[in-house]
Amino acid sequence: MKLSWSRLGRLTQKELRETLRDRRTMLTLVMMPLLVYPLLSMALNRFLLSSGMPAEQAFMVGVSSPDERDFLQTLIEDPRSAPPEPILKVNGGQLARFEVVVPEELTPEEALSQNLLDIAVQFQHGPSSIQSMEIVSYNNDQGSSTAQRILTERLQWLQLSESLQIVQRIDPNYQPIDLRIRSIGGKASGSILGTVIPLVLVLMTITGAVYPAIDLTAGERERGTMEALMASPVPRWWVLLAKYLAVVFVAFLTAMANLLAMFVTMKVTGLVSMLAGDSTVGLLQITQILGLLLLFSCFFSALLLSLTSFAKSFKEAQAYLIPVMLLSLGPAMLSLMPGVTLEGPLAVAPLLNIVLLARDILSGTATTAGAVVAVTSTLFYAAATLGIAARLFGSDAVERTSQKSFGSLLQRPDTVTNRPSMSQAGLVVALLLPASFLISNGLMQWLRIVSDSISVSSQLLLNALSLILVFGLIPLFATIIGKHRIRSTYRFVMPPLASILGAMVLAGGAWAFAHEALALADQFGIALLSDDQIERTRSLLDKWKTVPPWLLLLTMAATPALVEEFCFRGYLFSAFSAVLRPWQTICTTALLFGLFHVFVGSTLLVERFLPTMLLGLLLGWVAFRTGSVWPGVVLHFFHNGMLELAARYHDKLDFLGLSDADGSKHLPPSWLVAAALMVLIGIAIVAWSTQKQASESSIQN
Amino acid sequence: MLLIDSLTKRFSIESGTVHAVDGLSMRVAPGEVFGLLGPNGAGKTTTLRMVLGLLEPDEGFAEVAGIRTSKDPFAAKAKLGFVSASDGVYPWLSVREMLLYFADLYGVAPDQATARLKELASVMQIEALLDRRAGSLSTGQRQRVTLVRGLIHDPPVMLLDEPTRGLDVVGVQTIFEYIEHLRAAGKAVVVCTHRLDEAERLCDQFGLLHRGRIRYRGTLNDLREETGREHLVEMFVDLMHSTDPALTEDHA
Repeated sequence: MKLSWSRLGRLTQKELRETLRDRRTMLTLVMMPLLVYPLLSMALNRFLLSSGMPAEQAFMVGVSSPDERDFLQTLIEDPRSAPPEPILKVNGGQLARFEVVVPEELTPEEALSQNLLDIAVQFQHGPSSIQSMEIVSYNNDQGSSTAQRILTERLQWLQLSESLQIVQRIDPNYQPIDLRIRSIGGKASGSILGTVIPLVLVLMTITGAVYPAIDLTAGERERGTMEALMASPVPRWWVLLAKYLAVVFVAFLTAMANLLAMFVTMKVTGLVSMLAGDSTVGLLQITQILGLLLLFSCFFSALLLSLTSFAKSFKEAQAYLIPVMLLSLGPAMLSLMPGVTLEGPLAVAPLLNIVLLARDILSGTATTAGAVVAVTSTLFYAAATLGIAARLFGSDAVERTSQKSFGSLLQRPDTVTNRPSMSQAGLVVALLLPASFLISNGLMQWLRIVSDSISVSSQLLLNALSLILVFGLIPLFATIIGKHRIRSTYRFVMPPLASILGAMVLAGGAWAFAHEALALADQFGIALLSDDQIERTRSLLDKWKTVPPWLLLLTMAATPALVEEFCFRGYLFSAFSAVLRPWQTICTTALLFGLFHVFVGSTLLVERFLPTMLLGLLLGWVAFRTGSVWPGVVLHFFHNGMLELAARYHDKLDFLGLSDADGSKHLPPSWLVAAALMVLIGIAIVAWSTQKQASESSIQN
Repeated sequence: MLLIDSLTKRFSIESGTVHAVDGLSMRVAPGEVFGLLGPNGAGKTTTLRMVLGLLEPDEGFAEVAGIRTSKDPFAAKAKLGFVSASDGVYPWLSVREMLLYFADLYGVAPDQATARLKELASVMQIEALLDRRAGSLSTGQRQRVTLVRGLIHDPPVMLLDEPTRGLDVVGVQTIFEYIEHLRAAGKAVVVCTHRLDEAERLCDQFGLLHRGRIRYRGTLNDLREETGREHLVEMFVDLMHSTDPALTEDHA
């Protein structure tokens, strides 16, 4: 049985039905947003008003007589009572409004005590004019003291303005010092929306995912359905994948309901304009927030499922989740600190990276490179956590006498297996991403510093070494820990000799298309490289011309061919092919192959994605047809080798018509026709040489 | 249809190694009901778990319809039906949704599953329950739904783990009728129970399990001849009180 989309859909539908019909899910999904936000916003509204921010409603001021009322209202409405522009701006740009009233049947102070007024003003009348005004506020009422402060300031401004007029009458040359304000620093630090929303996203997605995650995993045990589920002939990870999709959906829905309720409440109470300031929440921002919501849901659902899969009861699951909820707030709070930016190791730090990304996106300072690294690494982490969950889920239904724990994940199994499981491969992929990012980033940084004192040859050797460290050692280590047979895991099978020849012919044509793809990307400026980076690459290419060709072939062709093929068409291919259909295995490994070629140092070489993925498809097909890793190694070696040599000897190949007069690096059309022919012939040879194997495997399937 | 050969499972505990199942062999033909009997802790459930492919045997193997459970556990599981007294239901799904979900897990095509459900619902008299929420069913109704679940994919081999535990007289009678239905349908049935009186009425063949080993095996008449006792309960009491292990091993 293979997992089809329709089957996955039906399995997910069951999980969704189960959780959405449950009253407890509905409680968090509907009741929380309906009740919490109006209450919260009432409190917030009061707090924000009291902190002196402009509001829709006016402060109520009480006086004793209509004359006093008219007098005070005139003073307040006098334009000279407004604070200077810079001070007004700091307070939100809007002038606070005051409504002066005469309370009926009560003195102003009594009315203030009964919370009918914000402040009371007591006038002391002299023989001809008003001697003093006492502005009375109510103790511990933030709104009242704010009104007191603002009114006092307004009257002070008015008096100051009058005094200035008098001074200027005496000394017409007198000019007060012109005061201005401005602010520096990132836009992010000023955006309340950018700092509040990521926090809300963390809280809301966790809240949404908690109940379904517990219910669909630990709940299976409590209901007594786990054993029947485990006895059915479906791999555990299918069941878990369906559960995961359901949890993501509910978490997304809950977070959306919460956000919607939050915005509606804030809109109704006028808090939106206070928090967002001038910036409007448009369609683009809504789309961004929804995208972030999905990302957060994907991450937390996987994390929570991995914990609840391990728990044996609702109570145990809850005990695990509470610390996670609290710990998750840590990175969210960290993102509020100024100077924490989405780059370097932080770009691959779980959770922190997406919180920072959310902050940057909402304040409009996100970079493509940071976003791609954060999103990709988060999706990988989610996949890896899900892999762990798949190993834990149902394990105690299976082995009641030897219950698994988190520690058992690191124990070596008793039996030797032929290939890694899907979840083990997922873990390896999740480990490869930060490892390759950190090592290549670190290497690039270091090379930049020492580039003058280190030879190009050493740079190339270091590059090859980092490749071996990441893509060579991590899968090898996983193979040894997991006790998998090296031969079957890495697919070290002797292929038909003709298929090796086919791979060579294929490479002879394929490199030309890779060359063209890069030249096209260069020509149309698809590359995300800055001019500075392009210049550096050009100078590196010039330096290559001084490197002996054997070293170029060793570091740029032989090492990647061996290491990457062992990893992608060996380790990962054998793991994926046990559960996926051949075309799915080929596509998945090709996609990963393409993705890993995009991250180089701190730059994203997006132009490399398509050609590398296409090469990955070709290599995957060859690996599938031949059942061996070796023809792929040969293809990869010749492909890279020819590409590197063509770059190195570009100038010397004029006589072949390689270098065009216009200076572009395109190959002549006759070359491309020949290359296409070679690809077709190569494919035909591989297909022909593996005809027998293919028919045998189709019978087995 | 079901073949078990020298099946062995050991567990490590603090004080040493326990032989939960020790060299167990048996064969159940289609239309035959085999009673795997023994007190709690005799190794019945561990045996079932190995047959279900949930536990890897240390030695020996189990074959379901010619498929070794350790070689192709998924293919073997697809040929097995499993019902246990501790089975629960999904409270928020309707009975129909729950049963079709399990049919889907067993790879039964949706239209086939609907037809099969209709047929089984009529046999087990649960037609009226199909659109009710599973959480609202009574214990007896829930039991009948669970029995249908075990048969939804029409498996050639059925494993019943303590099927009568916690049931009243009517519930037990339902199980008897169910097993009759399985026998008539030509299923190879294994019933694990410690209710020896019930087993006498139900099973064609018996295996008396004690400390992981089958001590007596055969029809009721074979066992009577071998032990000189009339009822399984007496045979078992003798077995448990037997202080000389060599004596009992001769019978094994």
